Amino acid sequence: MDLYLPIAEMPMNLFLLLGMGAAVGFLSGMFGVGGGFLLTPLLIFSGISPAVAVASVSSQIVANSASGVLAYLRKKTVDLKLGLYLTLSGIIGSAIGVWVYGALRGVGQLDVVIALCYVAFLGTIGVLMAVEAVRAIIAKQRGTPLPVRRPGQHSWIAGLPLRIRFHRSRLYISALPVIALGAAIGFLGALLGIGGGFIMVPALIYLLRVPTTIVIGTTLLQTLGTMAFTTFMQSATNQTVDVILGLALMVGGVVGAQFGARVGQSLRGETLRLLLGLLVLSVGLRFAVDLVVKPEELYSISRIGGG
Amino acid sequence: MIARALRLAAMLIIAPLPLRAETLVTALSTERVSIESNFTGSGVVIFGTVERDRQTVARGAPYEIVVTLTGPLRPMVARRKERVAGIWINRTSSELPRVPSFLAIATTAPMADVAGNPVRARQGLGFDMLPTRGLPDALPPVRTEFDAAFFRLMQKENLFSLNEGSVEFLSPQLFKAPIALPSNVPIGWYTATVYLFSGGVLLAKTTQDFSILKGGFEQAITDLAHQRPALYGLAAVVVACFTGWLAGVAFRRD
Repeated sequence: MDLYLPIAEMPMNLFLLLGMGAAVGFLSGMFGVGGGFLLTPLLIFSGISPAVAVASVSSQIVANSASGVLAYLRKKTVDLKLGLYLTLSGIIGSAIGVWVYGALRGVGQLDVVIALCYVAFLGTIGVLMAVEAVRAIIAKQRGTPLPVRRPGQHSWIAGLPLRIRFHRSRLYISALPVIALGAAIGFLGALLGIGGGFIMVPALIYLLRVPTTIVIGTTLLQTLGTMAFTTFMQSATNQTVDVILGLALMVGGVVGAQFGARVGQSLRGETLRLLLGLLVLSVGLRFAVDLVVKPEELYSISRIGGG
Repeated sequence: MIARALRLAAMLIIAPLPLRAETLVTALSTERVSIESNFTGSGVVIFGTVERDRQTVARGAPYEIVVTLTGPLRPMVARRKERVAGIWINRTSSELPRVPSFLAIATTAPMADVAGNPVRARQGLGFDMLPTRGLPDALPPVRTEFDAAFFRLMQKENLFSLNEGSVEFLSPQLFKAPIALPSNVPIGWYTATVYLFSGGVLLAKTTQDFSILKGGFEQAITDLAHQRPALYGLAAVVVACFTGWLAGVAFRRD
């Protein structure tokens, strides 16, 4: 059954959309990440213009993170103050991201920048995750506990000025790295159509030393705020959010996430991290191959102004 | 004054009896194609008759019909990838300031048999004669590699098509030209142009407009997105939050 997408101006199979939403939702429920970094490339590979894909996926991420935040709020594992700082700085980053997005599209270099960013970020994060997980698995099999890296109180981050107390996270740290992190994630989210959870979670744990129990809920709060703003901005400036497309992805995504969460709970943490690392890495490699291999068609055409 | 009147009278006498050429009467099967949520492509049929009477000259060659369906004109840009530092990126580009977003050509016979290059160049008729910069000219347009890529890619996306022999004469004078509209057909005003040729000479030409529009619901969404973008953005966020909340409630496990 085909569904005509009014903003994308093309029909797509409804079950394909629901299926893609469900598959990505399954993985995101399993690994506890948003899944935008998988969904946006999937839509682009299936023929939807990058402009519409990036903007519409942001609305799907809003739905996903909204249901997640609610669950974590009930468990009271969200640092609202830290989340607010990250969200406000994320909105600034997002505004810059939406602007850069439009400028790059105008000069025809958007696709290559998106591909390069995917290669750089997914490649790096994927390798780090996989290596860390493999080391943890090996250590477990040998029975030797991995040397626990104590949260270093004397890192360069601790020396920065403008310190603020975050009670819920039991932190007294400078606002500068918090704002920089939020803005960077917001910028990448708008530019690449990703929630950025897979970057935010390790950054909060390893850089800011936020307790792991609070990290996921706080990250989801930041994702919700930033992506709601991104959806609004993409609609207002680029007019590329397709609500029909977004809705189909949301419905598939929220259902898939429930099943994914159940499978995820039955897997070991290290195994899960290894699988996620390999998944992230393979998406990055896919983009890298496209960049390096000589394309069959060297030419491309696009409309000037819009579309 | 008198001399002028005389000259006019002389011209009228000397001039041969007017031999009337054929006239073309055409009609479209639909004047409006509406794109609903289940749209997967459609079609339009152009009907026509070649009208002639006793004064019409007898033609030695058969009638040939060419029908073009042209979509809204748009500025496009063609880009070429080149290898820079090991990766393939868009380097050179060329603008095509006014090109159709859709062009379907249907004929009774191979284009080369219907009319020669000079005739088609003047009309801008055919992919090889369609001007990508400026207006049709007596000489065939010069094609760059970017123009060639544009025509190749538009055909690959089913937006440009050439169907030689798809126009059918139902009787010696009545013909029909079915034209398929693919699922990715652009929205807007279309012009159907019918050319009547005989022996390589253009005898008559008609044009007719029709529109391809989105259906009520699809159009309402598009209108909202383009005319009230802030409201649309707000609505999109509210819909997303509501869906997320609903899912959270529906699948609550604690």
